[in-house]
Amino acid sequence: MNRYPFWRRSLAATVLVLAVMARAAAAGGIQLPAYQQIQLKNGATLVLLEKHDVPLVAFSAALRGGLVTEPAEKNGVASLTSQLLQKGAGERDAKAFAEAVAAVGGVFDVSANLEYLGLSGEFMARDTDLMISLLADVLRRPHLDQAEFDKLRNRAIQGLAGMKDSDARGLVGIYARALVFGNHPYARSDTGSEASLARVSHQDAKEYARDNLSPERLLLVIAGDFDAGSMRDKMEKALGGWTSVGAKTPQLPAAGRVPGGRVLLVDKPGATQTYFWIGNIGVSRSDPDKVAIDLVNTLFGGRFTSMLNTALRIESGLTYGAHSNVDMPSQPGTVAMQSYTATETTIEAVDLALEQLKGLRTKGLDEAQLRSGKTYRQGLFPMGFETAKMLAGQLLSLKFYGLDDSNVNDYARDMEAVSAEKAAAVISRVYPGLDDLVYVFIGNSEAIGEQLETYGKVTRMSITDPDWTASEE
Amino acid sequence: MFRYLVRLLPGLALLLCATSGHARDALAGSENIQSRTLENGLKVIVWPDQDIPNVAWYHWVRAGARNEHPGITGLSHFFEHMMFNGTSKREPGEFDRIMEANGGANNAYTSSDVTVYTDWVPGAALELNFELESDRFQNLAFVEEVVNSERGVVYSERRSSVDNQSAGKLLEQVNATAFVAHPYQFPVIGWPSDIENWKMQDLQQYFRTYYAPNNTTLVIVGAVQPDQVFALAEKYFGPISTQPAPEPVRTVEPPQNGQRRLEVFDTAQAPILAVAFHIPQADHADTAALTLAMDVLGEGSSSRLYQRLVEQEQLAVEVFAFKDEGFDPGLAWIFAMLPPDGDLQRTEQVLFEELDKMGSEVLLPGELEKARNIQMANFWRKLATIDGKADLLGTYEVFYGDYGKMLDVPAHYAGVSPEQVKDVVARVFRRANSTLGLLIPEAAEQEEGE
Repeated sequence: MNRYPFWRRSLAATVLVLAVMARAAAAGGIQLPAYQQIQLKNGATLVLLEKHDVPLVAFSAALRGGLVTEPAEKNGVASLTSQLLQKGAGERDAKAFAEAVAAVGGVFDVSANLEYLGLSGEFMARDTDLMISLLADVLRRPHLDQAEFDKLRNRAIQGLAGMKDSDARGLVGIYARALVFGNHPYARSDTGSEASLARVSHQDAKEYARDNLSPERLLLVIAGDFDAGSMRDKMEKALGGWTSVGAKTPQLPAAGRVPGGRVLLVDKPGATQTYFWIGNIGVSRSDPDKVAIDLVNTLFGGRFTSMLNTALRIESGLTYGAHSNVDMPSQPGTVAMQSYTATETTIEAVDLALEQLKGLRTKGLDEAQLRSGKTYRQGLFPMGFETAKMLAGQLLSLKFYGLDDSNVNDYARDMEAVSAEKAAAVISRVYPGLDDLVYVFIGNSEAIGEQLETYGKVTRMSITDPDWTASEE
Repeated sequence: MFRYLVRLLPGLALLLCATSGHARDALAGSENIQSRTLENGLKVIVWPDQDIPNVAWYHWVRAGARNEHPGITGLSHFFEHMMFNGTSKREPGEFDRIMEANGGANNAYTSSDVTVYTDWVPGAALELNFELESDRFQNLAFVEEVVNSERGVVYSERRSSVDNQSAGKLLEQVNATAFVAHPYQFPVIGWPSDIENWKMQDLQQYFRTYYAPNNTTLVIVGAVQPDQVFALAEKYFGPISTQPAPEPVRTVEPPQNGQRRLEVFDTAQAPILAVAFHIPQADHADTAALTLAMDVLGEGSSSRLYQRLVEQEQLAVEVFAFKDEGFDPGLAWIFAMLPPDGDLQRTEQVLFEELDKMGSEVLLPGELEKARNIQMANFWRKLATIDGKADLLGTYEVFYGDYGKMLDVPAHYAGVSPEQVKDVVARVFRRANSTLGLLIPEAAEQEEGE
């Protein structure tokens, strides 16, 4: 049993860009190692970073598009297509592809994300040529086989049933995104729903692949134990003849905040615990105050001694964990508080969370809190840049959002410079007031349904419903 | 190895061993590893690594659920929580507040075998960390009100990891059924009635017995110098008194001579099949062959079980295979997650067909090499971080008796033959050696208005 559920050892996964050493290492934190950025003639962007401490090579790639380029009503096609890429490519069928990766102890993952299809992996340095050929096959020569598609789709639909039988921590945010974004593409879930997956055909996957697998959409970062000159030659050879199909990525509008006082209750019969999400729409990745937002969210709900975790766990024992998130994609994402508690303490825990939000907005953060939060972020920052895999992920994130190296190299300084006034401005701008909140609950409807009306008009659905939204909506 | 952690996260088992290769020669910096044992018995192991300006701190306490008995099940894990709740010098929460304000973070975990306290701090905060850590190992406070609040936190953890997920419920029941004598039968989180009823004196007794310096090992990796660490260890942990060695766990699980079967009904959509087989303890000669066998069986989508159950017959949506590596003989687990209306009977039949086949026919060409490569790559991935290095050093010191064995493990895997794998599979993966649990979905009761 881990003591604390969401301080993860893999700091590289943190959505917000982190911080550098200041007080602890006054010398000035860390700098990104030297790397090369290359634009191939076909528009693909390649970033190469050598790191020789262990004999591993990692890659992290993004094909611009992701969920937002799915046709409406076909949520899940991005995920199915990304998985299908590994189910046969180049000379290998699905089994041979899996064997080729495992035979050398490699890792090759695909994922569908809000704004891109992700490819990542790690191989022993001696297997670098194999890694390149697998990557090139997946990008340029996927089989997109019908029988494999059918299996993947069935499994995806069946897997959702299993997810719903599990701890609901991972589900509450999916329902919330569907609710607050409504018809905006950001409402889509990574997996799709049982209902939307059933509408996705093999033809849809082929069309999605045709439009999204294109060199000008590719950003590929390779980091690890290799010679950059030789790697560059190999990659130019592997991807050079790949031609663009010219499909444009859509320009999305920013979604505005939705009216507060909406409550969605997802009934999970027999649940002894209520999972809740309280929030609305927040800010985008290009927000000029992202360092200050990082600081404020750390203190509000981003670390063990945060305001939320102190109130709901440390001082009251109501939950194993309470936290807040500021999701920052290209257009404004969500800002939310999340926790879970025994069915009978649902209202007590929610009210306590609301009290913390009210406290944040009315009293703000004092100098001692800000000092502590800055040193915390600065102190842990280097741990997100330790391995080739982490560096590849960090560089991908910077380049994908068009951020320059100063976001890493100057982070310690920028964090240090966040003023109390800036923090206060961020609080009132980013965190919704109590009247602007949307609530999502997963729990035992019979036990908690009526009580939830205190927060607004309650819409109900069942966890076994095949969509992420209530049908009456 | 991390019994509970691994069991909660099937498929995410932390793989800690290596395979063919010459890790000892190739492992840059391993020649700088040093250790020293203080007079009070605390062993300190240091691996200086200046790659990033941080330090990974792993403090291993040889106490877990196997040291419990009915009435105090879950106490080891509860204690892990209490270690953050104040000392005679500091209020509850101060430990975390100070550590975070100085750029550090921490966590801890409990298994059936050990409790491990982990910190990640800037090198400049090393002495402060020694002060904070030695304070709680020396001056822990026992306050009734704090104990009761923390019971609520643990209950919440139990609700998430067991009570509100069908796989967790099934695992707990299969585990409790697989052992009739040995304390590995207790869930690390504890039985609910015990969580409610621990007494203050249970906690105090437990602390005295198990949190003595001679029952712990401290591993520090990162931006430090060994002499500096040893001096700080002497200064802060040196004054803590040695205690009599804890009573050993004497109970040996008797051989299982026949399959045990159980059913768990749950409000759920998807059935689950879980099978657990008795296996030897971590430092047994069979462990290397068994680790490789488990990889061939269940690691990744090219594995035998995944190919047969998920891809070919489409009986399951996902398959997980993982095993314990503890002080005493534990379990190897196979989980098959079925689709709604999935066929449990047929899944069981096919699963045992595959196990029987692997125990009667030698591995296919390439399979053993694949398993070795998987382990080798995982080894290097662990060694790429100060956190992974600290974890590896502690694991080999605590479970294998010598941290230096970490560097020799490649040779152990290189020495495993296909016949050894077949032989260990034939001995372990037998019906008579198994406990088989079925999670059977029940429809939710009709609610008002429906």
